[in-house]
Amino acid sequence: MASIGKHKQHKRASGLMPRSQMPLRTLMIAMTVMCYLACLSIGALVLINRAVNDWSSDIAGEVTVQVRPTDGVKMSEKLAVISAILDLTPGVSSYKILDKEAGAKLLEPWLGNADILDQLPVPRLVAVTIDKKAEPDFIKLESELKAKVKGASLDTHRRWQAELTRMGSSLVNLGVAVLVLITLSAIALVIFASRAALDANRQVVEVLHFVGASDPFIARQVQWQFLRAGLQSGLLGMFAGMATFIVLGISSGGPASSGLADASYGLLVGTPDVTSVTYLLFLLVPIVATLLCLVAARLAILRILSNVV
Amino acid sequence: MSSAPSIVSLQNVGLRYGTGREVLRDVNLELQAGSFQFLTGPSGAGKTSLLRLLFLTKQPTRGLISMFGRDMATLPHRELPKIRRKIGVVFQDFRLLDHLTTFENIALPLRVAGQKSKDYRDNVLELLNWVGLADYADAFPPVLSGGEKQRVAIARAVITQPDLLLADEPTGNVDPAMAQRLLRLFAELNKFGTTIVIATHDTNLIARSKGPVLVLDDGRLEFG
Repeated sequence: MASIGKHKQHKRASGLMPRSQMPLRTLMIAMTVMCYLACLSIGALVLINRAVNDWSSDIAGEVTVQVRPTDGVKMSEKLAVISAILDLTPGVSSYKILDKEAGAKLLEPWLGNADILDQLPVPRLVAVTIDKKAEPDFIKLESELKAKVKGASLDTHRRWQAELTRMGSSLVNLGVAVLVLITLSAIALVIFASRAALDANRQVVEVLHFVGASDPFIARQVQWQFLRAGLQSGLLGMFAGMATFIVLGISSGGPASSGLADASYGLLVGTPDVTSVTYLLFLLVPIVATLLCLVAARLAILRILSNVV
Repeated sequence: MSSAPSIVSLQNVGLRYGTGREVLRDVNLELQAGSFQFLTGPSGAGKTSLLRLLFLTKQPTRGLISMFGRDMATLPHRELPKIRRKIGVVFQDFRLLDHLTTFENIALPLRVAGQKSKDYRDNVLELLNWVGLADYADAFPPVLSGGEKQRVAIARAVITQPDLLLADEPTGNVDPAMAQRLLRLFAELNKFGTTIVIATHDTNLIARSKGPVLVLDDGRLEFG
């Protein structure tokens, strides 16, 4: 048979589902946006978590002794007694007595810098740095201060710390809820796209059924195209998310500035351990998007086909 | 009637689409293994509907259908492919996949069954040669004529040497010489044990073959 040789022996077998008829472009655009939003959510979660930890750590590492002016005893004497107590208290790493000007400066936002501050009985503050590994006995310290120094009190910032922790937890929960919603929306998108893919290839599916293809076989023909779409969307979304944080960092002017921009800069070009962990979290987005597309498409297709005779 | 086992059995089968009138009424049919039957009747008599029941794309609205010893009403959905692999189907409208080459269209049932290309390549090429399409192995269906498409559809249906071959007007688009050649192919298959049902209007083809004839008239089946 001379003509048999004309057949391209090494030609790779064509895909049974024509890729050109797969309505995957819309899915890819929507999935890319979802993955981008997921990256932003993860980045925001990391930033919030780190900021709350930093603030909590700063607050937890410091307590403040406040001493009000009272009649009869000079402030310098009171501060000397407080210094003596702090020197002898285990767990106190260091302390700094803020001078009167420093105290006045703290009140400036509320009272202005008028001379009135000189006439007011402005309390003096002692910033105490504590050893976080071996904290002092705050109850004992407070009672000792109150007993020996009239008008002295100890602020351990516990209330602020609790508020920060609560706020941090709320923001983290909110971020997780956003991620869950993004995932659910992505699943819904894949299910709609699977149905559209089968509709667009109805004739192919019919013929495959006629020649004895099982539902899992048909699902396999479609699911790999969804897997590819999920991977591409995930990578695009991830790179867009990374680019956003890099731009945010660059526009912030680097680590010298402060606030969210500073934190986002630190997120990407900060200490290596933080950066690598963050990059790993970002890498989860294309991995999850790919698996989600694969599994959701397969299950949706099998479900649809189970209702076809 | 021969004593060969029945591979298809229809008992009091009725079929209607939606709320319309019944297109098949009280159809009773036994197809013995290795038999060769023509199915004929006027347009709209229900030939295509009967074939749809036989290649399992429709379920009857009443009656019982048993194929290869299995009751179709209780057959689990996951076992349908096993039954379908025993059936070859030639559609009137060919149902070729336009994005696959002629070779790939014919090899489709083998590919679906999990066979490797190197294992079936020679068989497919031989069959292509037999139906006169050896030079079209790499051609796509849109460039083929109606007759060529029909031969590809027939080759696809017979490539697995199915137990049952159902053909809807298989010679409707070919010249008499090719029709005769295709009929010989069906006869060869029948000799090897394939049960064949050919739905056709072609009275010449029926006359030449001298096979038993089933006549559908207004939804009722008669034996000619």
